Amino acid sequence: MHQLTRRQLLAAAGGAATLVLVGCGSGDENGDQNLDGKRVGAMDDYGVGDQFKAAEALTFSIAILDNPGYPYKADWPFFQELSKRTNIKFDATVIPLSDYNQKRSVMVAAGNAPWIIPKTYHPSEEEYIAGGAVLPVSDYVHLMPHFQDKVKKWNLQPDIDAALKQADGKYYLLPGLHEDAWLDYSLAMRTDILAQLNLQVPTTWDELTTVLRAMKQAHPDVYPLSDRWSTTPEGPGANNLLAHMSDAYDTRAGWDWRAYHWDPGASKFVFPGAMDNYRQILQYLNTLVSEKLMDPESFTQQDDLAKQKFGTGKSFVISTNAQELINSYRKDLTARLPGAKVEKITRLMGPMGATKRQTRLESGVMISKKALDSKNFVAMMQFVDWLWYSDEGQTLAKWGIKDQTFTGSAEEGTLKLASDVDWAGLNPSGSKKLNVDYGYLNGVFAYGGSTKFLNSQFTEEEKKFQEAMAQRKLRPEDPAHPLTPEEREQTTLWATALKDHVNQQSLRFILGQRPLSDWNAYVSELKGKNMDQLIEVHNKAYERFKKEHG
Amino acid sequence: MVSVVAKTSRPRGIRPTRGYRVFQAVNGVVLTVIVVVTLIPFANIIARSFSAEGPIRAGEVSLWPKGFNLTTYGRVMTDSLFWTNYRNTVVYTVVATAIAMVMTTCYAYVLSKKHLKGRGVLVGIAVFTMFFNGGLIPNYVLVNSLGMRNTIWAIVVPNAINVFNLLVMKAFFESLPTELEEAAAVDGMNTYRTFLWIVLPLSKAVLATMVLFYAVSFWNSWFSAFLYMDRQDLFPVTVYLRNMIVGATTGSDNSSSSDFALQVGANIRAVTVVLTALPIMLIYPFIQRYFVSGVMLGSVKG
Repeated sequence: MHQLTRRQLLAAAGGAATLVLVGCGSGDENGDQNLDGKRVGAMDDYGVGDQFKAAEALTFSIAILDNPGYPYKADWPFFQELSKRTNIKFDATVIPLSDYNQKRSVMVAAGNAPWIIPKTYHPSEEEYIAGGAVLPVSDYVHLMPHFQDKVKKWNLQPDIDAALKQADGKYYLLPGLHEDAWLDYSLAMRTDILAQLNLQVPTTWDELTTVLRAMKQAHPDVYPLSDRWSTTPEGPGANNLLAHMSDAYDTRAGWDWRAYHWDPGASKFVFPGAMDNYRQILQYLNTLVSEKLMDPESFTQQDDLAKQKFGTGKSFVISTNAQELINSYRKDLTARLPGAKVEKITRLMGPMGATKRQTRLESGVMISKKALDSKNFVAMMQFVDWLWYSDEGQTLAKWGIKDQTFTGSAEEGTLKLASDVDWAGLNPSGSKKLNVDYGYLNGVFAYGGSTKFLNSQFTEEEKKFQEAMAQRKLRPEDPAHPLTPEEREQTTLWATALKDHVNQQSLRFILGQRPLSDWNAYVSELKGKNMDQLIEVHNKAYERFKKEHG
Repeated sequence: MVSVVAKTSRPRGIRPTRGYRVFQAVNGVVLTVIVVVTLIPFANIIARSFSAEGPIRAGEVSLWPKGFNLTTYGRVMTDSLFWTNYRNTVVYTVVATAIAMVMTTCYAYVLSKKHLKGRGVLVGIAVFTMFFNGGLIPNYVLVNSLGMRNTIWAIVVPNAINVFNLLVMKAFFESLPTELEEAAAVDGMNTYRTFLWIVLPLSKAVLATMVLFYAVSFWNSWFSAFLYMDRQDLFPVTVYLRNMIVGATTGSDNSSSSDFALQVGANIRAVTVVLTALPIMLIYPFIQRYFVSGVMLGSVKG
């Protein structure tokens, strides 16, 4: 065989590199011209408020998550109505909910992914970026008037920049957009016990201590607080409680844990596990445990056990969300302890006062880069824009057809399901299920929207909670500081070791196995596990991104 | 095992020694304990599958159903998709096992012949795949470009030879006396007839074992079907039930506030285990006797 010389090889490599560079350049500079010949079926002037309808019948491939609660049916009225309004049909790859991400990964990696890949949770899109199979959608949002309109109207650009932007200044995921942050989790409390003891519902963490003390005094044989969600990852246990506290104390813990946290005072990232705010949380919980106000098993027990304790009156306070409140706690209590009342209380406040921290972005849609080669690319982007981001599209996906499956309007707060249709017990007498029988509100297409739109799906009780939470001021997101792939890999290694140590030691501090006077020693242990290096990478990335992309 | 066989086969009339009686008693007790320990979790699963949600959540169900309830069975079994998928599982298992048996038996028989030229290479090819494989994505690309996606072949072909089973079978064939085959050859049989009429009838024990191994693994498998099938009506029941379990236990945004959904969530796992394990367990008794005869075969020959 002909032996290549080193020079030939170099020349070949150089040539290839040039080609690649040329390829990139042309893509960036005249992205718009490139769309010539990709407008087949698209609408010429498609703007906010317009109904998208393809000029000819088109079929787009899509990944559909099959939820066993409402199994996918190709002949759902939703698909029929969608195709009537937009002239679009789906070629669906149906993926069981149980393993959606795995199949998506294989299909994307094998170059066989459908064009539209919904239900993608950030940051899982990041693993596909290097492979080049996913479209940098930020380059094409100019084709999406409704998306742009909502981003502008609700001032979401900083959120998107902070959460989704990569080191190249682009983002690869079209997120679900919320007008306001939506919080669900909080604490559930036995209000009948409060009434018995003449106590008010606490509003701050300190008031909670007082309430728990009074409960303990009246019922010395119980731990008033016995918590759950301890077996899910990230935190040392009682992960909802810790996340919830870390919001009130402005740090990161439990479910909200991550290895970096923005300190607005110092204008830089710090390691949350070493913050004084974090120490205060540990101190607080240590007090609860040492006064036997909180069940020490809260951090290790299975959810079922915690639920049993609450349901049988062996504890009075427990973490909750809207579903668990009704499905588990209230149901168990009414069956066993007549007269017992339980409510989800407004999130407790701490040093941060009446503020909250929550993302306004939800899981979203990835577009396969293959779609860009199609002559229907523009039509597809317009379609995605209409279905996921226009008010009409969102209403269709969520509630169906006016006067057929629902009446009234969500914006006016008068939306009601039709008399024969039910969803999640909103209209218990309805014999047909909005999702099972019609395909609306099916998770793949329906999420996000304005606050009023979201409120239309809540019960009265939950609406009250939402209204109270809406009073809280939303704190800004941490600033954008995308890492390069190498940095990401390195920081992940450090962060894993650090997290393990933080979790272990937090538990020891809380349970009193290690005195809090040991705090400084603990911080130097963290330093020994590369805490400072980790934070430096994040701060450098922040400076770099600020310089390059303002 | 062998010593037990030898001792029970001693002639009658000789009284067992005291030591032997003690051994038998201890043996009986230990084995009973093992049986009970193995069966209790299973009895508990069956009990849960027939129990109501309340007692399950309160942890009151042990070996007998509490608050007899068939909602979850109803939910699973009234779904036409469940039966479609169940049928798929049966078809996939039968076809895949048949193909796998033919392929494995033929290959193993060839490899058992010491005079075969290039035998080492053929064994090497098989064993190589035991330690190395292309990986998930290359396999997917391969199956995709062979046009086998969304067909039964995607499940059946890539798993047709299990190397471990192949080696077990090869060892079995090697242990058959070569004199038998030589005699058959002298009587005028060619290789194929020898294989079909002499070797296979003598190999029922290992064949039965392999059928069981293959059938169980195909019955329980879900991953290749999940990977290569893009439509629900092609999934086997394992994928269906796996999805049901995850959906019911994550309490995703379906209408799970109903009593119905709560009941399903409470014992869907148990129902699943019963429904998928039962048919394949029913096969065991029929194949059991071949295991026993296989053991005898080995002990008598010596």
